[in-house]
Amino acid sequence: MLEYYFPNEAAEPLLWHPVLFAYTLLVSGADLLILAALAYLSGSLRRAIPLMTMLGIAFFAVVLAGPLADLRSPQRAYFIFANPHIVPTSTNPGISLIAFQSIAWLIALTLSALFALFTFSYYSHQASLSSTGFKRSLYRFFSLGVTTAEKYGTLEKIAKVIAVLMLPFLVLWGIYPSSMFLMQTWNPAWRSWALLPVTYFADTFVVATALFMLVYFFWRYRALEREVVVPVLKIHAAGSISVAALTALQMAVWWFWSPSTAEMVTPITPLMYVVITLLMLSFSLSFIAIRYHAAILAVSLVAMAGTFTNKWNIIVNAQLISKTGLAFLEAELEASWILETISPVALGVVVFVILSLLFPLEVSEGGK
Amino acid sequence: MNEVSRRGFLGAVSALMMLPAVSAAPHTESGKRYAMLIDVDKCFGCMACVVACAAENNVPLGSFRTWIEQLVKPDGTRIFVPKQCNHCEDPPCVPPCPTGATYKTADGLVLVNDELCIGCGACVKSCPYGARYSNPVKGVADKCTFCDHRLAAGLLPACVEACPTGARVFGPLHEDNELSKIVRSRPVQLLKPHTGAEPQIYYISLPDEVNR
Repeated sequence: MLEYYFPNEAAEPLLWHPVLFAYTLLVSGADLLILAALAYLSGSLRRAIPLMTMLGIAFFAVVLAGPLADLRSPQRAYFIFANPHIVPTSTNPGISLIAFQSIAWLIALTLSALFALFTFSYYSHQASLSSTGFKRSLYRFFSLGVTTAEKYGTLEKIAKVIAVLMLPFLVLWGIYPSSMFLMQTWNPAWRSWALLPVTYFADTFVVATALFMLVYFFWRYRALEREVVVPVLKIHAAGSISVAALTALQMAVWWFWSPSTAEMVTPITPLMYVVITLLMLSFSLSFIAIRYHAAILAVSLVAMAGTFTNKWNIIVNAQLISKTGLAFLEAELEASWILETISPVALGVVVFVILSLLFPLEVSEGGK
Repeated sequence: MNEVSRRGFLGAVSALMMLPAVSAAPHTESGKRYAMLIDVDKCFGCMACVVACAAENNVPLGSFRTWIEQLVKPDGTRIFVPKQCNHCEDPPCVPPCPTGATYKTADGLVLVNDELCIGCGACVKSCPYGARYSNPVKGVADKCTFCDHRLAAGLLPACVEACPTGARVFGPLHEDNELSKIVRSRPVQLLKPHTGAEPQIYYISLPDEVNR
């Protein structure tokens, strides 16, 4: 047999550009909001909630900038909301996961913003007591008139209801990219990667906690708090070991149950070893960081290296395996793609800086 | 431009009301079920169909609405297999489209509404035949349309008309025509039948290797 290929695929081997790499990174904003909501509902990790919420909102708000940059006709992007394919008809059977998730994003972001406004109301009031000038007016405005713990009690109940409501939408977002990949059933690597959704879900928690620790380290590097660091490190360690184990398990499944698939995915297995090694290292460092808090910087950086490698392998390398599974196409990486990839993340950082100016991230318990 | 703005406005209102809008379908339907038959024995790889298609539909360089794959038997014999969009009965490319730009007509044609396509590539990724491509000029997904503009004028698709050996036969199924007669009377094969997409390009003498 000779020349069995799809010419269109060879002409554009990377249809989805590396910007998706940034996109899936930004999805970790949803996981930070999940953690914030769960912490709020359970009454734990209270001192971490403000930073988690604002970091989560900042990255989740710009999450669609990633795919927007990858659209060939971005000027028509609003059609996803204006004309969503979410009801099957005779001419348009089935429903589109992309359209469904876009609407879920809108709902989740609105709920998250309300959650933030309500939870920050009392924090803002507390901050207004110790600030002056414009900042004092700003904090007063965002206190929503809440000046006592009693008044906050009512808003707290509403915030808890909102926290429950936003959870399903945020969880959907946590597994969205991997579900989308799995549904592209004609990519032989993705469709054979049965553990992709659960791996990805754990992976976004790794990114979320690593990102949180990175920001927290530089923000409070002189006074890292044990009650914040230790729980986050435990979540991070659980996520890291899960991703490493799931990646190893997927390789084992291929080797033992589908040798032909194992052969087909050969081009992506070397980086899978790297992912397992880095995340195991991050897992081990987490335990050191529980004793020596300053090590959270190393934990964060190693974990990010691991998840970046994982995402690059899943998104870019797996996409280069041809539809026949017989060839590994070569992609010429364009320089503009670097800017395209960095921009959405940079936008998230800018939004976070703005939010951190508008809302107090430093919380004093009990109005003290 | 006015039409797009109006559609955008109406669509935005319906989205706000959480009511999905159905995409506009510019194609005129005749109520037939179009299909194509390709006799691999008759194709000798002259590429006339590929060129005719590219010229008729302004297909950009490097992309193809139809193409010819070659297989070489152990004895050196070459086999040419023309391929294109299979206009599937259950097209895997239609559900992923977020805006409903990709749709299926009652005639069985799977088409793309250029005015609704945002160029996300979801349909390109989901086509099992590699028949779709992202048109770099138009910024939308592109593929074979069975030359629906020619059908509307009573003409055959450009590739069928250009084929010097009559390897391609086109027409509505379930009617008294050459295509229906051959499909009924001779053993025909499909590309990747295991996908369940029910492709509507029928082949004669298709080598088994193609579907392996």
